[in-house]
Amino acid sequence: MSRRKVPSFSDAVFWTVVVFLFMPLFVLLLYSFNASKGGTFTGFSLVWYERLFFGSDQLWKAFGKSVSIALGSASLATFLGTLAAVGTSRYKFFGKGYVQAMSFVPMILPEIVMGVSLLVFFAGLGLKLGMATILIAHTTFNIPFVYLLVSARLEEFDSSVIEAARDLGANEMQTLLKVIVPMIVPGILSGWLTAVTLSLEDFVITFFVAGPGSTTLPLYIYSAIRFGVSPVINALSVVMVVGTVLLVYPSRRFLKAFAAGA
Amino acid sequence: MRQRNYGPWYSAPQGLWLTLFFAAPLFIIIVYSFLKKGLYGGVEPGFSLAAWHALGGGTLLAVALRTLLVSLVATSITILIALPASYSIARSSNQSLRLFLIIVPFWTNFLVRVYAWIAILGSEGFLNDALRWLGILSTPAQFLYNQGTVVLVLVYMYLPYAILPLFSTIEKFDFTLLEAARDLGASRLTAIVRILLPNIRGGIVTAVLFTFIPIFGAYAVPLLVGGKDAYMLGNIIADQVTKTRNWPLAASISMAVTLITGIGALVYAYTSSRPAAPQVDDAEDDLDYIIQAEALP
Amino acid sequence: MLGSNVSISGLSKSFGDFKALKDVSLEIKKGEFFSLLGPSGCGKTTLLRLIAGFEDPDSGLVSIDGRDVTGLPPDKRRCNTVFQSYALFPHLTVFENVAFPLRIRKTPGKKVRELVKRHLDLVQLEKHADKKPSQLSGGQKQRVAIARALINEPSVLLLDEPLSALDAKLRQHMLVELDSIHDEVGITFIYVTHDQAEALSVSDRIAVMDGGKILQVGSPQDIYENPKAEFVARFIGDTNLFSGKVVSFSNGISLVQDERIGAIKVEAGNEAPEGSWVSVAVRPEKIRISLAPPAEAGPLGNVVKGMVDEPIYSGFQSKYYVRTPGGGHLVVFRQHAQWSEGVPDIKWKDEVWLSWSARDAVVVEASGTSIAPVVSGDSLDE
Repeated sequence: MSRRKVPSFSDAVFWTVVVFLFMPLFVLLLYSFNASKGGTFTGFSLVWYERLFFGSDQLWKAFGKSVSIALGSASLATFLGTLAAVGTSRYKFFGKGYVQAMSFVPMILPEIVMGVSLLVFFAGLGLKLGMATILIAHTTFNIPFVYLLVSARLEEFDSSVIEAARDLGANEMQTLLKVIVPMIVPGILSGWLTAVTLSLEDFVITFFVAGPGSTTLPLYIYSAIRFGVSPVINALSVVMVVGTVLLVYPSRRFLKAFAAGA
Repeated sequence: MRQRNYGPWYSAPQGLWLTLFFAAPLFIIIVYSFLKKGLYGGVEPGFSLAAWHALGGGTLLAVALRTLLVSLVATSITILIALPASYSIARSSNQSLRLFLIIVPFWTNFLVRVYAWIAILGSEGFLNDALRWLGILSTPAQFLYNQGTVVLVLVYMYLPYAILPLFSTIEKFDFTLLEAARDLGASRLTAIVRILLPNIRGGIVTAVLFTFIPIFGAYAVPLLVGGKDAYMLGNIIADQVTKTRNWPLAASISMAVTLITGIGALVYAYTSSRPAAPQVDDAEDDLDYIIQAEALP
Repeated sequence: MLGSNVSISGLSKSFGDFKALKDVSLEIKKGEFFSLLGPSGCGKTTLLRLIAGFEDPDSGLVSIDGRDVTGLPPDKRRCNTVFQSYALFPHLTVFENVAFPLRIRKTPGKKVRELVKRHLDLVQLEKHADKKPSQLSGGQKQRVAIARALINEPSVLLLDEPLSALDAKLRQHMLVELDSIHDEVGITFIYVTHDQAEALSVSDRIAVMDGGKILQVGSPQDIYENPKAEFVARFIGDTNLFSGKVVSFSNGISLVQDERIGAIKVEAGNEAPEGSWVSVAVRPEKIRISLAPPAEAGPLGNVVKGMVDEPIYSGFQSKYYVRTPGGGHLVVFRQHAQWSEGVPDIKWKDEVWLSWSARDAVVVEASGTSIAPVVSGDSLDE
């Protein structure tokens, strides 16, 4: 049976929300083509894009650092989170409740508290703040997301498949690598992608655990916009949104499949 | 077939990692909040309740109340907008396109989005330009650096966090129930208030927490668009750590923030695990929704 | 029209390209138990939803108690619906579910208790008032839904496949209960179903629908014994269909030449004049089956020889699929009305004789076109 016509009030709210959400992006787009640096639009120009690509070494260095931390922390978190999800979904053991609780609490702790506590912790250990401390921090806040997504996937699958594998002669390692992991690949993948995104995006925690020489892209953006207008950042934002859309658009079928699986 | 219990082997690495890098730092924070403040940052051995007493002090209490107020107002506005918006998505014949429209703006860096608001509201910003062009303003006005702006930008930042769990709950709602209510004499609004809202309670609770918790601990937004007069607890914590270097105080404020969010989380756990409530599983589904949305880029 | 309760004229409704209802007209009398019967997608549920006000028609009128209600929302119509999925409010108790319409109208508490109690008594659920819907069985949920729909004292009760979610035994039981509730409250019931047995057993009248149209309206006997379209004959019960040219017509008997069975005598008056093409239906229980040739055919008798392809024993009767030498297939019922010791059993591959009277054959289509909605009772003409 067809759905009834949507009440117009909620539709009006929805489209207002869409305009509200997109408005800042359009302003960025507009200003990125502005000939002058100030807020007033003085004419069309590509000068900020030129500056972005040919005169922003620091920015691209920060970008490189962000990407390497994102890939590293996401992979580490995916490894740890997947193993733990397999363990807690298949077995009962002493400390299981602790592992589950530890995997949930970080998600609801305000970022600022996690950032401060890690800073205090690293200071107490005498660790020098830098890429390593950022990597540790990012892995820590990424683990719960991977764990949750992989667990959700594991919950869905039929455990008799594992029994069948054991029955047919596979040992624990073979069962894990040849049966369980292939079946939960969508969950692992979405966990990894989530972790990469969260890491690239993080500002607050990184702000506390970063040291000299470990400026990630969000930290670079922060220092750039702190002191007012920065049209290069406008251009960068436009490039990032367009880049993401170009990346996502061709793979949207894959994304849909993976979103359905997660 | 008897099988060895590999559970601990699988789970130990993550358990140890989180114990070391999550639980231990939190524990240190708790301990620090009861220690004496060091002269140049850090702490000195010796029990002290000074940091906890300071929580009740005039300025800090004022900031705490302001934080609570801003969080409550921003969360309420967010939920009130998110409810009809997610209802509209759930009833649309093109749900995925509409969800896409909600998520796309969030593929821009968090700070860039805050910055975009500065570009709009700043004294040389888009809004000033537009108003001057229209002849409404003659001299630049300052729309930034007040609490209203903080609330506006916070609502902007966390609206999708409310829309996604609400959408996933409303989508599962049996719309026949609304027809039944209409059939039995209820007006459209009565049907929504008496039938829809009670049945999507789980989603509402999730949405409230997913907005309230990050807003309550907000740091960057009040810092960048709020200015000194709109500081929230997150800013005080950061200042105590990096500028004033009163670590025990930073620790005690952190603990207070954690306690308040912890209470929220307990309420959440309680409401989402109520027996016989039809929303039992939704809480986790909702979480999945948010995570998926964030994973999309 | 006097005594008419629900009146529908020229109703059409499309969903995108799909025409769910095509110019449907119908009159339903006060107090009638009226069924809308048809396969899924035939438009019966759409028609019900148009009456209830959940959808607006593209064209046409709906009136209830002589008042035009087209375009009015559901809460402004004097009819209530029992939903296929029950649509009980999961957050309210049984009591509050039934009380919902009264609470909406801000009825005083004492009156609410009194009315709810009376209606829960009606459906025998007084003991379950404090339970939540999730604690009830399917049949109990069904009865809550009925009590809730009746408490507004509607003029019409609409039932959308109310028994489809129940198992077979319970369905029978609920059907009887529905019938007695109907007798007790005395209002009009409009009952949507795809199950012909349900419709035949409780309805005063039935409208058979297919492809967005009403094919026939009539009493259960009418519909079963005198189907006016091939679809109606096939959809309701088992049937044997013959078709061919009428080769002769005399003394009220038409001789139809079916290419597989041979010449068949049909008493159909002037519905089957010589030279026309007709489809003829004969119900399986009207055909007698025997191992020996019948004694005498008579002027009305049809006799066909065949071989049992498949005997199906089901206790009170047996069903036989019989193949004729010409390649025709016939289905026949034989009642086991008495324990017939000594009478030889009819088995697989047996040669059998089938015989029936020309009076038991019904013309369902003539000249290749269906006999367009022949309606009986008070229905409007097309």
